[in-house]
Amino acid sequence: MNVEAAKFRPVSNEQVAVLGTQPIPVGPYHDPDYFALEREAVFKRAWLHIGHVSELPEPGSFIVRKVEAARASILIVRGKDDVIRAFYNVCTHRGTELVAQSDGLASAFSCRYHMWTFNDHGELRGAPDFERFFLDKADCGLSKVAVDVAAGLIFINLTPDPEQTLSEFLSPLETQLEQLPCATATTFAEYLYEIDANWKLVYDNFQENYHLRFIHPRSVGTTATGPENPFGYATGFDFVGLHRKQALWMNPEHQPGPVQVSALERLVNDAMFGGYEELLANSEYFAVFPNFFMLNSPILPFSHTVFPIGPEKSRGVIRFYWRGEDDSATQRFAREYAVAATRDVHAEDRGVIEAGQRGISSGAIQHIHFQAQEALCRHFINSVDATVQAYKAEKSLGGFGA
Amino acid sequence: MIDAAVLPTGFEPLEVFVDKWALATSFERSRERETSSLAQMREFYDAFAPYLNDALAYLDRKGLAEFTPADERLMALCLSLAHVTLAVEVQGEAEAQNALLRHEMRITRSTAERAA
Repeated sequence: MNVEAAKFRPVSNEQVAVLGTQPIPVGPYHDPDYFALEREAVFKRAWLHIGHVSELPEPGSFIVRKVEAARASILIVRGKDDVIRAFYNVCTHRGTELVAQSDGLASAFSCRYHMWTFNDHGELRGAPDFERFFLDKADCGLSKVAVDVAAGLIFINLTPDPEQTLSEFLSPLETQLEQLPCATATTFAEYLYEIDANWKLVYDNFQENYHLRFIHPRSVGTTATGPENPFGYATGFDFVGLHRKQALWMNPEHQPGPVQVSALERLVNDAMFGGYEELLANSEYFAVFPNFFMLNSPILPFSHTVFPIGPEKSRGVIRFYWRGEDDSATQRFAREYAVAATRDVHAEDRGVIEAGQRGISSGAIQHIHFQAQEALCRHFINSVDATVQAYKAEKSLGGFGA
Repeated sequence: MIDAAVLPTGFEPLEVFVDKWALATSFERSRERETSSLAQMREFYDAFAPYLNDALAYLDRKGLAEFTPADERLMALCLSLAHVTLAVEVQGEAEAQNALLRHEMRITRSTAERAA
């Protein structure tokens, strides 16, 4: 590679001007009414990342996951026929949450209230003294939720009949995601955080590099900033429907410390051995609408999902996807390091995001501003707001009737 | 009385760190880093880092399934060093301030606690 080819060139202002240049109203970042619209327009309609196939390793494996943005608890089961199905975790008798555990192995699910029992297909198989109801068991199955898998990642959709399949929704990113470690991972590590901030404010932090040198002077430091790119700006943006991507710049001059090198060498070796040579050379960050990130790095193969809990409260879940449980002491050490190092960066972000929410919620300012290198944030609010406005238009048309 | 050894042969000088740093889970290791001073971590780092590659080579030859309690403790020290090196090699004087921020990032699952 010659010096000319390696020279950093930022995305130009003109390239992203198509997204608009106006200030952004703060309402969507704190207003409870806007959040109520997002529940319906975004989280009850879009495909949502909810888990990984390695959480359902065998027939009878199940997980239960809360989706606060839809006020729902979802039961996801791998059936005896190996098919993954999802249901609202709600007994059809009188609405009680059916399964209390967060995961496990079961061939049937019994409601503790009156012992209605459902099989792995969600069918009602038994209910005490059922003759006294005025019902057919066939009409009492669990409410189904659309579920599908892409790149090893489990997605659900809370629309009864989703307009798009998961593949259509992700297209053309699905084929790229299928190349990433998550697609063949069999295990993962996880850390999570709760945060007093709107989900979009949280998400935005991870879509721009403008803050890197100020918030992460050491934890990111010279890995992704340097004299030729002092802000660590992206080398390219890609806007793909509601989704978006950025190509990350890495500083070739970065010098890690000696113990870091011991960990990194093993991570790089594992990545090469795993067939990820090409990914090592091209660092990309996928932002899948509405609330999911995936870094393409085989060294730090993590996803980050931001789950809205309320207008000013969210939960972040970070997962590192690995192929095979630890095979040796060195691999165990390297993976421990990868998680710990990334956690340092995310911890620094969490503090400043909450400070941003406090400022926005105070009502002191009516608008926020995105520069050209924060174009992904602008594309994101454009995407969310277009979805919300389309929903409002649809509802108001429906309200007047034809 | 081989099982009575605190650490495998050759790693005896590191025994003084076992009580504090040979912890069972990633969560505990991350918490120990948060509640330790930079001086405590530098002491551990300076003593242990020169042994790290030898320790990992020894443990790799053993295999995870064959660990004795002494091997487990040596492994746990290596894993604590993965956290501590971030304080020593990366954060330095910023460690104390950033430790407060890290408290809310809870490690909930680690491959180090799963069967190989």
